[in-house]
Amino acid sequence: MLNTFASRGLIRLELTRALRNRKFLFFSVLYPSLLFLLIAGSADSTSKVDGTGLTLPAYMMVSMASFGALTAVLMGNSERIAKERESGWVRQLRLTALPGHGYVLAKTAGAAVVSLPSIVVVFVVAAVVKDVRLDAWQWLALTGAIWAGSLVFAALGVALGYLASGDAVRPITMITYFGLSILGGLWMPTTSFPTWLQDIADWVPTHAYAALGQAIEQSQAPHAKDIAVLAVFFALFTGGAAWLYRKDTLKA
Amino acid sequence: MTTTVVGFDQVSKSYGSVRAVDGLTLTLYPGQTVALLGPNGAGKSTTLDLLLGLKQPDSGTVRLFGTGPREAIVAGRVGAMLQSGGLMDEVTVAELVRLACDLHPRPYKVSDVLSRAGITQIADRKVDKLSGGQAQRVRFALATAGDSDLIVLDEPTTGMDVTTRQAFWATMREQADQGRTVLFATHYLEEADAIADRVLVLHRGRLLADGTAAEIKAKAGVRRISFDLSDGPVDEASLRALPFLTRLTVSNSGSAAGSGHTVRIQSSDADATVHALYGGGLYPRNLEVAGLGLEQAFVAITEAEEARTAC
Repeated sequence: MLNTFASRGLIRLELTRALRNRKFLFFSVLYPSLLFLLIAGSADSTSKVDGTGLTLPAYMMVSMASFGALTAVLMGNSERIAKERESGWVRQLRLTALPGHGYVLAKTAGAAVVSLPSIVVVFVVAAVVKDVRLDAWQWLALTGAIWAGSLVFAALGVALGYLASGDAVRPITMITYFGLSILGGLWMPTTSFPTWLQDIADWVPTHAYAALGQAIEQSQAPHAKDIAVLAVFFALFTGGAAWLYRKDTLKA
Repeated sequence: MTTTVVGFDQVSKSYGSVRAVDGLTLTLYPGQTVALLGPNGAGKSTTLDLLLGLKQPDSGTVRLFGTGPREAIVAGRVGAMLQSGGLMDEVTVAELVRLACDLHPRPYKVSDVLSRAGITQIADRKVDKLSGGQAQRVRFALATAGDSDLIVLDEPTTGMDVTTRQAFWATMREQADQGRTVLFATHYLEEADAIADRVLVLHRGRLLADGTAAEIKAKAGVRRISFDLSDGPVDEASLRALPFLTRLTVSNSGSAAGSGHTVRIQSSDADATVHALYGGGLYPRNLEVAGLGLEQAFVAITEAEEARTAC
């Protein structure tokens, strides 16, 4: 674990910086809760969302917690990595004893420290304002699953940061972000989509991601298919990020 | 075991059809302060990138302290400051220096690093709010955060004013006095002349000259001789026939006497030229013999090289 030890200083500094960035904190921590209130605020707490056993507030709580985590891990890192590659900071770090993966590790940690509060704040708002009630183990399992699942999209954020540069990175990240949010049913249940779109949404990683939490809310084991979809995308994103990272290293 | 700090063996690197570094072979020894001198596009930055393992050579080998560049960096033996080295923004200078200390296997105290780089006063300032010269000093602090044996600096004084530049080199000399090897790339020729005890002249990716600044000047064949001749017309042909003469200019000295001339000669062997001057029956007055500045020497070397390759 000598390598992780060497990365410690950078991880600490990335955490400090992430928690200091008020604009980003607001965007990823409070924005999902506000959106939750907007969508579920006037919904009644008895009728169920089509095709699920969940009320709209319970359903949207998981969607918005997932959305908040997605915002935290995807939006900050891709742009920052692209910027730091261009400024030469990444090159400067390569002249230190920091191991190659240390930079990505620190960036992921910086995102994770923001994604956790964004999940918890949505839960608190849902419980207090819309009376969502779950067992203690469900709250814990939800938090753990959504937090851990966000690693899939953290890997995507890193990959985008190494893929795009300059002016291109923001629009590419935005399109990916909104595409994943909408297609995955984080803003509205996919059951409200036309059938052909539902068939596509079934294979979108954010859909599998939210389904993970919704299964926990119904005291069910997560569907094997959702786990498989997430695992495949995780492998794809980390593989892509690693490949792009190596390409960048050779070019620099 | 003789320690070699840097060893380049027949190293080449091309970008497309451009040979940025062309069969470079060189060895650096401990305690030297070495200037890598060359015009823009000479291959200085590529050479440093290869040395630091940021780029891989197409052919040849690069060794630092007998190992690969990456191993030497991980062992904390190298501190480097790049021209293109960006800084992490939204953190303070002190936080960034602390990071550099954290990442070094044999770190110095953060406060010492700050004071040596002269940035104690701006320690609490955000990195993105620094002037160019201040940012350079922060980069220097990052390069000297620990007890490294080799310090590599790519055009370190870019963006510094004269005072800061002098203070910077004073700090750098301290590093060298402690037995460290300092390698810096520059196109400030007076810097190479004033600071380095060894100068490597790089031109089109090849090593054109390697020696002390004085040797480089001598290699360019260059002493400057000037004197006045009074009375009557100057016989330019006989002046031109002087041995070892490489350049001749004759001008009116503009004295009240009217007919005097000032002669300026560049010679690759000033002693022989002056001897022949007296032997030829001329009576030069106000004779001066001086070395060329490194800048002129440098121009002379590269011109000679270009003339040679043009043939």
